[in-house]
Amino acid sequence: MAESVLRRESAGDVFRRMRRGNSGNIVLLFIIVQLVAIAAAIIFPEDFRYLSMGNIQLMLKAIPSLVIIVIGVNLLMIAGEFDLSVGAIFTLTALVMAKLFNAGIPLWTSVLAGLACGVLMGLINGFIVVKSNVPSFIVTLGAMWFWRGIILIISSSITESFYPSDFFTKLFTVNVGPVQVQFIWALAIAVIGWLILDRHSLGNYFLGIGGNRKAAAALGIDTRKIKVVAFCITGFLTAIAGIMSTVRINSISPIQGQGLELQAIAACVIGGTLLNGGKGTILGAFLGAALMYTIQDVLLLLRAPGHYLQMFVGIVIVIAAVLNEAMRKE
Amino acid sequence: MANDQAGAEARTDVPFIELKGITHQYGPILALNNVDFKVHRAEIVGLVGDNGAGKSTLIKILSGVLHPTGGEIFIEGKKKIFDSARDAMQCGMETIYQDMNLIDVMDIMRNIFFGREETYPLGFLKIKSMKKKAMDILEKEITIEGIRSPKQLVGNLSGGQKQAVAIARAMFFKNQVLLLDEPTSALSVRETQAFLDHITKLRSEGLSVVIVTHNLYHAYQVADRFVILSHGEKIEDTLRADTDAEELTRVIVGCK
Repeated sequence: MAESVLRRESAGDVFRRMRRGNSGNIVLLFIIVQLVAIAAAIIFPEDFRYLSMGNIQLMLKAIPSLVIIVIGVNLLMIAGEFDLSVGAIFTLTALVMAKLFNAGIPLWTSVLAGLACGVLMGLINGFIVVKSNVPSFIVTLGAMWFWRGIILIISSSITESFYPSDFFTKLFTVNVGPVQVQFIWALAIAVIGWLILDRHSLGNYFLGIGGNRKAAAALGIDTRKIKVVAFCITGFLTAIAGIMSTVRINSISPIQGQGLELQAIAACVIGGTLLNGGKGTILGAFLGAALMYTIQDVLLLLRAPGHYLQMFVGIVIVIAAVLNEAMRKE
Repeated sequence: MANDQAGAEARTDVPFIELKGITHQYGPILALNNVDFKVHRAEIVGLVGDNGAGKSTLIKILSGVLHPTGGEIFIEGKKKIFDSARDAMQCGMETIYQDMNLIDVMDIMRNIFFGREETYPLGFLKIKSMKKKAMDILEKEITIEGIRSPKQLVGNLSGGQKQAVAIARAMFFKNQVLLLDEPTSALSVRETQAFLDHITKLRSEGLSVVIVTHNLYHAYQVADRFVILSHGEKIEDTLRADTDAEELTRVIVGCK
């Protein structure tokens, strides 16, 4: 009968699989951008201080907040949904924590309350989306405006300061070698995100539901429950990012976090995540976020005005989406 | 085709699954009207009828995807309610749908185990073990050209290859009743023959099969009993021994 036609995958297969998984492209792009920036820094060490310790530290400080949000948004997008309210979740959870702490509530209770708020806001988003069948784009757009309003009410439009215990501050700001510990937390969360997406049945369901919701349901998956879980994870991770950022800068302003929702989606798309779900990697999303900050940093070092960054990110996100779509068809 | 187990007489034992008075309404459309349907252990039932007869609706009800607007379901004489595909699976139903329900963006291994992943206690996947089993299934259960590795993306497979994956998945989990909705539509002649042989083999292992098909000759090769639906009603329930493919065709066409 049949000889075994199965064989081990060759290196070429692995590469093709990586490209299909889409992290291959972003890795390549990321490396190229880094090489160009590093080469420029070596050639013009005085004018382009990309490799100076100060610049590297600044970048590594800026990246973690966005990366942590992006991990959550990426999982959600892979499951086929959006969350436009992450910017508001980011601010409100941090605000709740700071307000409670400043009102004399114990630190850890305040932190847990902030995290619980994030999960609850994700839960509300998810619940409305799966119960109403209204696209999450609209539901979370509404949620964004609603929570932004709540933020202005409870903050009275004033920046809330936050000076927690020394230990808690160090937990998020101490330097480990050249990097601030926040970067290590972000890496750890990325690894957990990868474990969930790639090595856990939950991630398998995110991919399956995003890839073919009908099939997933017919194979016995409670697609609504899984989607709600994805919203909750996004809310939770966003709350962590909000809290970490607040500890770092010792305050939370009511306008903080605006635009984060679109930056997060942009990072995912640049990282190869499909807008209609079913495809995406944690590595891609991580590098997508890192790439956005790299571009921002390079433009700053070149003393380009801020709006160049917006134009540039705008172009990159459309190109990335076009490439993703072309690869999907291929 | 060996059909030695097919009793020439109607079976009187308690059916493995029995539907009584099943009615299903899609808005104003009556898709199924008071249909009784049963499947015994180790029996292959051919569910035939013209387009729109209600075959797919009946399969969806059996597989738990659709909740009938009326009627009752019994498993081995006990009343059951299928609220979801998972309920039906736990009662022993295993379905291969017309559209196959594969997830194109995932590889073959993940498709085979989707929803029934092998996991460690915390829910982490036993990738190695599943990969090995997927290899075994592809090598032994269903051999098809062009499938080289369980890591291949299902989206890159041809229609016949996809169907082979769907079949392999159903074969692997070997539930009590295999529900097949147009299983041979994308298969080549050789693949179809191998598939029909496989079904007969499954019956000898004690499994039951419900096969929905337009191709009466395929159904006639393997089925022990035929149920003919027309406009949502059961118009014929006959043993293989009492009929032939021509007569079945006449009944289906005649009732239009």
